[in-house]
Amino acid sequence: MTTNKPALKRDTVDHRKEGVESKVEGFNDRARKAVKDRELHDSVSLFVNKTLTGRQANLAALPEAPELREKAYHIKQKTMANLDTYLDQMADAVESRGGNVHFASTGEDVVRYIGELAKRRGSKVLAKSKSMATEEIELNRHLEEDYADLALDIVETDLGEWIAQLAGDHPSHIVGPILHMNKKRIADVLSETAGEELPPDVKALAGFARQRLREKFLSADIGISGANFGVAESGTICMVTNEGNGRLVTSVPPVHVVVMGIEKLVPKFEDLSVFTQLLARNGTGQKLTVYTNFITGPRGEGELDGAEEFHLILMDNGRSKLLGTEFEEALYCIRCGSCLNVCPVYRQTGGHAYGSTYSGPIGAVITPLLKGDKEAKDLPHASSLCAACTETCPVGIPLHELLLKLRNRQVDEGLAGKAQEMVFKGFEKTMTSPKLLNISTKAGRVAQKPMTKNGSLRPMPGPLSGWTDTRDLPPLAEKSFREMWREGI
Amino acid sequence: MSNRTEFLDSIRHRTQAGRYKPTKAPDSAWTRTPERPFATPPIEDPTARFLEELEALGGHGKRVEDMDEAREHILALAKEREAKLLVRWDVDELEELSADEPLSEAGTEVAIWRDLEDFRDVAAKADIGLSTAEWAIAETGSLVLEGGVGKGRTVTLLPPTYIAVVPVDRLLRTTTEAFGKYGGGNLPANLCFHTGPSRSGDIEMSLAIGVHGPGDVHVLLVG
Repeated sequence: MTTNKPALKRDTVDHRKEGVESKVEGFNDRARKAVKDRELHDSVSLFVNKTLTGRQANLAALPEAPELREKAYHIKQKTMANLDTYLDQMADAVESRGGNVHFASTGEDVVRYIGELAKRRGSKVLAKSKSMATEEIELNRHLEEDYADLALDIVETDLGEWIAQLAGDHPSHIVGPILHMNKKRIADVLSETAGEELPPDVKALAGFARQRLREKFLSADIGISGANFGVAESGTICMVTNEGNGRLVTSVPPVHVVVMGIEKLVPKFEDLSVFTQLLARNGTGQKLTVYTNFITGPRGEGELDGAEEFHLILMDNGRSKLLGTEFEEALYCIRCGSCLNVCPVYRQTGGHAYGSTYSGPIGAVITPLLKGDKEAKDLPHASSLCAACTETCPVGIPLHELLLKLRNRQVDEGLAGKAQEMVFKGFEKTMTSPKLLNISTKAGRVAQKPMTKNGSLRPMPGPLSGWTDTRDLPPLAEKSFREMWREGI
Repeated sequence: MSNRTEFLDSIRHRTQAGRYKPTKAPDSAWTRTPERPFATPPIEDPTARFLEELEALGGHGKRVEDMDEAREHILALAKEREAKLLVRWDVDELEELSADEPLSEAGTEVAIWRDLEDFRDVAAKADIGLSTAEWAIAETGSLVLEGGVGKGRTVTLLPPTYIAVVPVDRLLRTTTEAFGKYGGGNLPANLCFHTGPSRSGDIEMSLAIGVHGPGDVHVLLVG
């Protein structure tokens, strides 16, 4: 896409199915294919345009939005600077309310904790509400494999996420997991599950999902959810869903397990006034998400519903190594998906091209940070650096600056590739020597002759075509300013 | 937890090592333009605003004089929905409503949220869930639902039709005000800001109502 790096290792296999540590390399190839996919392009446009229109209207109606944004940034900054204290406070608060707290350094820790819990309780049906943290560690697949003897029935309950699960697909957007699928495809997937032909009609499809998933909610032994926010002072977790599946997963099964990234904390309950509004207005263009649900420990004495057992898993999985570094701001993300919606790259490629749980600009930032630069070499280059992401981010993460920093880091780590290194070494030499600059300019004027057409350079040969295929590159002028000056202009 | 100390130590080590100072406050893109007002104008008529917001979300709101009018409204609704079973919170407000007898006389059995063997049987079978709310928010058309004894979470969630009877003096103006009610973090085991009918846009961004929660939501503001 935006890079003209030559000699990139080509790789078309989707490695995510191979495991958590697998590579997300191959963005360029996947992107190239995605760009040609008209249907995908239409689906992505439909989603992002509608969402952005709603966002625009809702933010315009909230004059305080800029202040909220600044507040959000500062709350997150304060939280990260004292994260150990807040985590400690959160754990104390949850335990004082009768909940269990587990600290998980890795995804494997999370899988083991939940697997052992299911084993101990003899659980069969696990109902999940949409959670990026569990997508990130591929919880479902690992539980199914590592605890195969338990024969667990793990069911996603968010409509989109469930359809993706049935189709054996991955979510392609943080907020709209199946925006890449059209109605017909969805009808096919659900018809297969139903064992009968369902019409490609939204009402009929949603109705079938309601009925089928209702059975799962009522028979589930464990409810598993993520968390949008955690409140340190009270041990409260906040989760938002529009369908109500989040509230069902946490209210109906006797056990509720929360998998929460450690960066999701805020110090005080009232801080959520800022974040829930920003999340709803930016993510989906709503004033408030339909079910903005706050859970503090297990059900109280005398209550008839709500989980009797509450487990909070605080997951690190690579996050803490960003604390105190120049990449810390990446941890402020509230997963609203806005930066995806405005990104010219995402809008052309969709989410799957990124080959990571997190796509779009934030995905291009956190994937290499969590998995390592080597694993996600292409992603920091999947950006035109137009800064639309930074402009739109409701918590003020300077996304494009972080992408640049990641590109720098690749050079420092020697990941940029020999060819690129040589090009820039040569560039440096030429630009710092008047003699060399003069010679190369003259040589360039001769060399460009056969490639100049209608006043621009195209097409250029070899790897340089990446530039001229889609853009105009003006040729070198007949005379340089210095030459004109010498001739008395 | 045995792993807690170790985990927190490793984080403390990072938060206290020479900190990088992040670039700057968020960039200027959201900076106020001169013509933009500084604050949302105060809501003058919270009742009207609440009803307007709720209707916009596809819910139904009505201001009623007193509990008698509320009861009539609920009876009519139960009849219209041909409800066989209604489940309600066990709270004073709904005792005051005294709708149980007239409802069962009209053919809608009433289950009260107390001493239930298995709540699933009741909540999942009911056609209508009935509750009150701790607060309502005019700005967003939301109900603030506190869980607790007699106040089942699933009452407001599993039945396809949901009705809330809320004294009008519990109407707050803004979301911020509602969060302020729980300042200091003294929270019940469950709290929910419930804003309109359950919805999903997952299928081609077409609105699907009542996917998991109730799609038919009615709020009666009393007084």
